[in-house]
Amino acid sequence: MANAQHNVVIIGSGLNGLACAAALAGAGFKPLVLERRRVMGGRVAVEEFHPGFRCSAVFDAHAYCEQPVLVPMPDGRWMMVHGESGESADIATFSPKDAARFRAFLPVLRRIVAALAPALALTPPDIDHPAAGELWGLLKVGRGIRRLGEKDMFRLLRWGPMAAADLVAEWFEFEPLRAAVAAPGIYGTALGPWSAGSALGLLLHHAATQVPAGTAEQFLPQLKTAGVEIRTGAEVASVCVKEGRATGVVLASGEEISAWAVISGADPKRTLLGMVDPACLAPDFLLKLRNYRCAGTVAKVHLALDALPSIPLLDAAGRPARIHIGAEIDYLERAFDACKYGEFSQKPYLDVSFPSLHDSALAPAGKHVMSIHVQYAPYKLRNGDWNSRRDELADVVMKTLAAYMPDLAGRVLQRHVIAPCDLEQTYGLTGGHIFHGELALDQLFTMRPVLGWARYRTPIRGLYLCGAGTHPGIGAHGESGRNAAREILKDLRR
Amino acid sequence: MAQKYDVVIIGGGHNGLIHAAYLARAGKKVLVLERRHVLGGAAVTEEIYPGFQFSVCSYVVSLLRPEIIRDLDLPRHGLEILPLDGTFTPMPNGDYLWRMNDHGRMRREIRRHSITDAEAYEEFGQAMVHICRFVKPVLGMIPPDPAHPTFQDLKHAWFMLERFRALPDRDRYNLIQLMTMSATDFLDQWFETDVLKATMSASGIIGTFLGIRSPGTAYVLLHHYMGEIDGVFRAWGLPRGGTGGISNAIAEAAREAGAEIRTKSAIAKILVKDGRATGVVLENGDEIAANVVSSSVDPRLTFQKMLDEKDLPGDFVEEVKRYKFRGSSGKVNLALDGLPEFTCLPGVGRHLRGAMSISPSVDYMERAYDDAKYGNFSRRPYMDIVIPTLTDPSMAPPGKHVMSCFVQYAPYKLADGTWDEKREAFGDTVVDTISQYAPNLKSLILHRQVITPLDLEREWGLSEGNIFQGELSLEQLFFLRPVAGWARYRTPIRNLYMCGSATHPGGGIMGGPGRLAALEMLKDMGVRR
Repeated sequence: MANAQHNVVIIGSGLNGLACAAALAGAGFKPLVLERRRVMGGRVAVEEFHPGFRCSAVFDAHAYCEQPVLVPMPDGRWMMVHGESGESADIATFSPKDAARFRAFLPVLRRIVAALAPALALTPPDIDHPAAGELWGLLKVGRGIRRLGEKDMFRLLRWGPMAAADLVAEWFEFEPLRAAVAAPGIYGTALGPWSAGSALGLLLHHAATQVPAGTAEQFLPQLKTAGVEIRTGAEVASVCVKEGRATGVVLASGEEISAWAVISGADPKRTLLGMVDPACLAPDFLLKLRNYRCAGTVAKVHLALDALPSIPLLDAAGRPARIHIGAEIDYLERAFDACKYGEFSQKPYLDVSFPSLHDSALAPAGKHVMSIHVQYAPYKLRNGDWNSRRDELADVVMKTLAAYMPDLAGRVLQRHVIAPCDLEQTYGLTGGHIFHGELALDQLFTMRPVLGWARYRTPIRGLYLCGAGTHPGIGAHGESGRNAAREILKDLRR
Repeated sequence: MAQKYDVVIIGGGHNGLIHAAYLARAGKKVLVLERRHVLGGAAVTEEIYPGFQFSVCSYVVSLLRPEIIRDLDLPRHGLEILPLDGTFTPMPNGDYLWRMNDHGRMRREIRRHSITDAEAYEEFGQAMVHICRFVKPVLGMIPPDPAHPTFQDLKHAWFMLERFRALPDRDRYNLIQLMTMSATDFLDQWFETDVLKATMSASGIIGTFLGIRSPGTAYVLLHHYMGEIDGVFRAWGLPRGGTGGISNAIAEAAREAGAEIRTKSAIAKILVKDGRATGVVLENGDEIAANVVSSSVDPRLTFQKMLDEKDLPGDFVEEVKRYKFRGSSGKVNLALDGLPEFTCLPGVGRHLRGAMSISPSVDYMERAYDDAKYGNFSRRPYMDIVIPTLTDPSMAPPGKHVMSCFVQYAPYKLADGTWDEKREAFGDTVVDTISQYAPNLKSLILHRQVITPLDLEREWGLSEGNIFQGELSLEQLFFLRPVAGWARYRTPIRNLYMCGSATHPGGGIMGGPGRLAALEMLKDMGVRR
C-alpha cells in the first residue's frame, strides 16, 4: 500500500509535523506536508518583522537551552543565576546560604529530571490492553525513578502536585532567586506560582531542556533527500472521512488530496473540531475534547533594536543570557491574578532573550532583536478585544522594562506584538495556547489530549495527531511528532 | 509513678477517642490524656454564653466512617445525627440559589437558573456517586510505602488498578480529573451558572490554602462528597448536642470498653529511651509509663514540642518542618435573639435550616483568596453558615438561636498586625458581610465569639490553625501524609504512633486515622507476642 506517491498527508509544518515527516521518510514513506502559511515552522517559524530583523514566533531556537538568567531587582541591582554550571558566586553576594543551597539543589533537580525525561519519548500506554513493549518502557522509567533512591523518589512524588512557590521556599530564602527558579513552572500556563501543580511544570520544563530545541531547517536536508514534498500556502479546510476512516483532505482552494493516512500537527481542537465533520465523532468524545483546556495566557513582543540596551552582567555572563522580570514570587502571582479576571497584567512576568546574540544573521550588523515572552495576557479579555488593546499591552511591557533598562526606549526601531488572538489566527493555535493546551496534571501523558486517545490515534481510523496537543507536549524539539510516527508506522505496516 | 498502661494516647479529640475505643475493645489498658477541660478537641460543644450551646469549631458531620459507628455502636452511646436540609446561597442581585434535599424541588430551582444545568446536575450527582464508590475503599486502606512495598501493598495496588480498569471510560475520565484538576475547571465542564459553580466549588477549598482555581481542589471537593448518613451519599448532618455530642458518644464507647480518660492533663514531653517511647510526662510533672504512646495531635506538636530533635533522624525532622499547615479559616459563633431574615427570601423558611453559603460568584471566591495570598483576611470572605437551633432546639433557650459561621480565608500569617489586634475587625467583617444579605442580623446579636487561626492554635492545639492538622493538598495525602515513608502511623521512634488527622485519610470528623492506627498498632502487638 506504500505505492501511491502521497499516501500520507501531514497537516502543518511545525516541528512536530516535520519530525513526524522525517521519521516516516526514514521508513520509506513519502509524506506530503501541507502548510497553511507561506513560511514553514509553525511556532518556531522565523519571520521578518522589520526590514532586516527576524525573530521566531513563539519559541526561540534557544528557548530550551540552559542559559544564564539575569534577574533585575526593584532596587536596581542585578543577579545572575547559572542554571547549568551551578556557578553561584553571584548569588553568594546576595545570600551565601542560598548560594550553597543552590549548589545542592541543582544536582537533585538534575537527577529527578533525568529519571523523568525518558518518559517523554514513550507512547502513553493503553490502559485496557497495554502492549508488552510499552509496559517494558514504563517499567524502565519506573526503575529509573526507583534507582533515584528513597529520598529523591519521594521528592518527585511530592513535587509533582506541589506549587512551585512552595518548592522554592523549601530551598531558598532570597526572593529574587526563588522567583527566578520557580518561573519555568508557570511558563506558558494558566497557573500562578502559588497554584498547585506548577512545580510539575518546572520539572517538565527542565526535562524538555535535556533535548536541544529544534529548528525547521534542521529537518530540511533529510526531507529533501527523501523526496518529501512540503507545500506552503496550502491550507487544509477539512479532512475527508468515509465510513469512519480518513480518506484524504480538502484544501481551502478546493483541491482534494486523497491519502491513506492523515496526520495532523495542528492542535487537537483545531483538527477534530475544525477539520472533521462532527457527525463522524461520538458526542461523548466531542464533549471531552471541548473540555480540553487551551486558553492561552501568553503574548509576544518583538523589538528591533538599534543597539543593545545597557544591561549589567550581560557581558559578565560570557554568553547569551536571558532576563527574567519578576523578582518576587508575589510579583508573579499578582501578574497571574489579573488574568483570572480577564485582564492582562499591568506588571507582567517577562522572559526576555536576544536571539541575535545567538545568531547574528537575525539582525543587521550591530543591531539586535529582543524577544519578549509576556505573561499573563489572557486569551479572552473581559473588556475590549486584543485588536484594540494590542498597543496598550506593548506599552505596559515597555514601561516594565524601562524600570530596569532606562535606555531601552531610545533604541527601539520597531515593535511587533503577537497577541493571543494573533497566535490563534496567524499561527493556528486554538485559544492562543503555545503548548496546544494546558500542561496540567489532567492533560498530560495518557490524558493528553483525551483519556483513551493519547496514543496519537483518533476515533477516526487513519487520522492521527502529532502536535503538541499529544504527549509530551512540552519543549520545542518535535518529540510528539517522533512518538506519533512510531505509532503510525505500526499501523501503516500492518 | 506506679501506673503502667499498654497505651497512652495524647489528645482526646475524636480520633484519639476512637483510637482508644478500638484498643480498649482489643483488651488493652488504655489512657487518654486531654489538655483541655472538655473532650472532643475540635469536635466539641461548649456553653460560651449562658444558655447557648455552641459547636465551637467543627459544626457539621458527614464523613464519620460508618464502620466506626457500627463497630463502636455509637447510636447506643447517644450519637444522633439530624439531617441538614440543603444549601442556600443568597446573591447580591436579590436572587438566590437554594439546593434542597427534595430532589424535585431542587431540580426546579436549578432550572430557574439554567435548564441545562438542571440536567447536568443529575448526571453530575450520579457520576460523583460512582467515583466515591471507587475511592472510598482507599479511605479504609493503610497507605502503601512506595519505597519498600510489601506484598500487601502490591496486592492493594493491583486491586485498585484492576478496579480502575473495570471502570467505564466515563468514570475513569472523571476520576482522573477529580484527582488533578481545580474545582472550578472541573465544574466548568458541567455547569454554566456562576453561583452554582461557586457554591459547589467552595467545598474544594475548605481547610486548604488554595483558591478554587488551583489544581488539587477538585480532590477536596470529592473528599467532601464522600460522606454519608445512614447510607445516604453526600448527606450532611448536625449531631444532636453539637459536634461535642459525637465526641461524648465515642468517649462513652471507649469508657465502656475499659479505657480511662482524663481531661486537664497537658503533656509536656514524650519519654524516649534507647529510641523507644516509654511514656509521657505531664505539665504538672507527673510521669506516666506506657508500653506504647500514640499521639493524635499534629506532627509539629508531637515531634517538635513533645520530643527532642536529637531523638529523631535529621531527615525526618526536616520533613516534619516542611509539612504544611497554613490555616486559612476562622470561625464566628453568634448567639442570636431571633432569626436573621434574608432580603432575597424573607421569612423563616426551610432555607434557614440548611447551610447558608456566602459564595455568590466564582470571582468572589477568587478575590477572597487573593486577599489571603498576600496576608490579609478576605474583605469579603466565603462563609458556610448553619443555625443548628432550628434542627436541635436544645442548643439555646426557647426562641433564641445560635449561628455558626465558618469563614475562609483567614490566613494564619498576617502581612501586618497580629490576630489579637485584628480579631474584632475580622468579626466585624463577617457580620457586615452577612448583613449585606440579612440586614437584621446586627440587631439580633447577643454575643459574638470570634475564633481566629491563632486561637485555633493556642486553644485547640491546631498548629497554624489548620482545621485538618495539615493541608489536604495532593502532596500531603495518602502515602505522603504526614511524611513520605512514615504514612503508616508508625514513627522513627519505636512504640510511638500517630493517630490524628495528620495521617491518612486526613481531617474532618471522619475517624479514619484513629481506627486505622489502632488496627496497625494491634498488628504490631500481635506480631510481638
